Amino acid sequence: MISKYWLPILIMTILVQTVTAQDAENEQTTTTNQGRLSGNLQLNGNFFMRDSSIGAANTPQYDRQLFGADSWLNLNYQNWGFDMGIRFDMFNNSNLLNPTDSYSALGIGRWYISKKINKLGITAGYIYDIIGSGIIFRAYEERPLAIDQALYGVRLTYDIADNWTIKGFTGRQKKQFDTYGSVLRGAAIDGFFASDSSGVTLAPGFGVVGRTLDDGSMNNLVATLNTYAKSDIFTPKYNTYAFSAYNTLTAGPISWYLEGAYKTADAFVDPFKERITVSGDTIVGRYVQGKGSVLYTSISYAKSGLGLTLEGKRTENFDFRSSPQETAVRGLLHYIPPMTRVNTYRLLARYAAATQFVGEQAFQVDASYAVNKKLNLTANFSNITNLDGDQLYREIFTEIYYKYHRKWTLTTGVQLQQYNQEVYYGKPEAPLLETVTPYFDFLYKFNPKTSIRLESQYMNMSKEHGVRSDYGNWVFGLAEFTLAPHWAVTVSDMFNIDPGKLSPVDASTGKQEKIHYPRFDIYYTHHANRFSVSYVKQVEGIVCSGGICRLEPAFSGVKMSVNSTF
Amino acid sequence: MKKYILFLAIAMFSLNACDEIPPKVTGSMGGPVEPNPVEDQKRQVIIEEFTGVRCVQCPAGSAFIQDLLAIHGEQLVAVSIHAGDFSPPYSASQYDFRTEEGDQLLSYLNEPFGYPSASVDRKLFPGKSSLQLGQGDWAGSIASELEIAPKVRIAIEPSFDAGTRKLTADVTLYIDQAISDADVRLSIMLTESEIHDLQLKPGSSSPVPDYTHRHVLRDMLTSYSGDPITETLSQGAEISKSYNFTMPAEWKEENVEIVAIVSLAGASKEVLQAHQVHVVE
Repeated sequence: MISKYWLPILIMTILVQTVTAQDAENEQTTTTNQGRLSGNLQLNGNFFMRDSSIGAANTPQYDRQLFGADSWLNLNYQNWGFDMGIRFDMFNNSNLLNPTDSYSALGIGRWYISKKINKLGITAGYIYDIIGSGIIFRAYEERPLAIDQALYGVRLTYDIADNWTIKGFTGRQKKQFDTYGSVLRGAAIDGFFASDSSGVTLAPGFGVVGRTLDDGSMNNLVATLNTYAKSDIFTPKYNTYAFSAYNTLTAGPISWYLEGAYKTADAFVDPFKERITVSGDTIVGRYVQGKGSVLYTSISYAKSGLGLTLEGKRTENFDFRSSPQETAVRGLLHYIPPMTRVNTYRLLARYAAATQFVGEQAFQVDASYAVNKKLNLTANFSNITNLDGDQLYREIFTEIYYKYHRKWTLTTGVQLQQYNQEVYYGKPEAPLLETVTPYFDFLYKFNPKTSIRLESQYMNMSKEHGVRSDYGNWVFGLAEFTLAPHWAVTVSDMFNIDPGKLSPVDASTGKQEKIHYPRFDIYYTHHANRFSVSYVKQVEGIVCSGGICRLEPAFSGVKMSVNSTF
Repeated sequence: MKKYILFLAIAMFSLNACDEIPPKVTGSMGGPVEPNPVEDQKRQVIIEEFTGVRCVQCPAGSAFIQDLLAIHGEQLVAVSIHAGDFSPPYSASQYDFRTEEGDQLLSYLNEPFGYPSASVDRKLFPGKSSLQLGQGDWAGSIASELEIAPKVRIAIEPSFDAGTRKLTADVTLYIDQAISDADVRLSIMLTESEIHDLQLKPGSSSPVPDYTHRHVLRDMLTSYSGDPITETLSQGAEISKSYNFTMPAEWKEENVEIVAIVSLAGASKEVLQAHQVHVVE
């Protein structure tokens, strides 16, 4: 036990001694700089209040635990040319890892130590890093989805020339307070050219990542393949490599990013592939082995109030994980950028398109034009199909923003969506959802410190056989009163005004219920500390963070949070 | 320039030092398997699958279990537990496969990350954070469990009176290795196969009417986590228990099986041995 934690304990000791030294110096009003200590705390507490009518029930939290909390305390210290840090993670009765189960564990979630020796940089511990846009490798965290893909290992960087850096790393991927068994290694070279005369710059790079499957994962894979008919089996590879070449070109108002990635043969689950079982049944979803590729580009133009962005992406067989047994958001070694607008308004964000690793082709156009200082127009169009051309997602979004002096602003527009339930929800033969959602957001400032914001959206849902799809039509309203710089209070309600197929049924009448999902929030901010208390009733839906999505069950209860930076 | 070439060479070499020796994949070798008589009983592993008639992907899991049974024969015992969000029957369903014990087992063995999901021998396998395993882990977990010699052998002697529908199950445990764990339990489950009823499957938004449900947990003759075995579990001990049950008329006795498992309770819920017999041979 001690041997596992000797380095974090050492870092903690240094941090404690440093704080103690600083306290002593403060008392003696000594101004000697001992280094820089910084950190942040995030604490979330959930009080679960069972509400069977909306499906907030039948999990350990609602049935017996009633309370859960998650917390991250991060401390960083810089001195003597070293960067070091340690993070305490706590999950108690947490529903982050599995929204329908309870997870409890706590301990050192991260530590690292880093030193630059001339041109050589050395880092050991839990490392966050990225190659290119992350298509072949991204070690990062998304706390709302309990994603922590840190690399536990060693990384070296070397400045081989002005504006040219090479890096190499090896380690294993973090898995809660453990690691996956598979071993990773990778390297990348990143550069930068600038033309003095033309203003053109280039930022090219090339990266490669290798993964060796651990014996446990391979044994599981082979045992599964040994249940398949001979026509469906293949010889899996222990070692898989992913390569990526990328470049950002900027020329005046134009910026163009291009990345191409390739992955050698790797085993993964194709959820749409059929196989005949030994007992004669046809089932959908099986392991396949294939080479993968991703081509991604983004061109943007910004000048004279006009902003244009065009993005395109083609993905084929690019599910790259620490273990082929992992599913959903778990064990991913990489991150493929989403090709849709990131919506923030409640109803506009209800149907989000999760990245399809097996295959998708997508493009997105985003245009923004500032007519004058008061008026801004925005339009966005995104389209995603699978590799056979079947529609997965389409969104048309418009926005008009008008600012009247410093007194009030109005943001309004409409969103049209098509959403493939069969792919994103796994509902067989379900037609595309089609929604039309007008919205507005009105902000009125009584004075520089006091303001009120009113927000509303109405979602009109398409029908299936005369019945509204999914949860049907919604109306959402929100009022937010802000008393800067400390207080903000919001009250909102999401009302299922015309229920659909999946809306909860009233047991007494047998009819779909028109249910209110109210929310009430109080926020208090004091310097770098932010506190919040919220009463929440939340319908189930897809929750996305940073382009990664998962189905999130309904919530009923009280949420409290503290965020502090120091 | 030379040093860059050196960097590149090291990088390329570390990525692909030499060709690998691949694992051997045979594909299904299914077919007849040897019987597993109690006198010489080998390890028998239980897979408890969590499923539901509204779970579109679950038939694939159940079909996969049939493949595993074809490979492992009597050394694998399957129980399909209808519990969770996908388990409420349709209005046109003939049966409600949900049971109180099934709901309790779902909570006892952790809520799944997705369906279908199963627990193999109720064991927390290395590198896993839950007793629930996705389909990709089932075959490997069963294979590794089968390598462990059983500490206990289980015999079940059923008798069924078709007139009164009274079922008696006499269960005997033969302790081959002393078991020192504080809390050891015996669970008795009744499962039924060949039940034709509605089930959602890929390819249609409506449930198919004649899906064949197998190994459905219908009831338990003990508590959901098993009844504590209070006798001393020393090597050579024989422990006998008897259970009575009146079988509902809608059950077809020729398709009903009695499943017995000896498991730990407490921090570890691991199953030490499982066994299954038909009520009517």
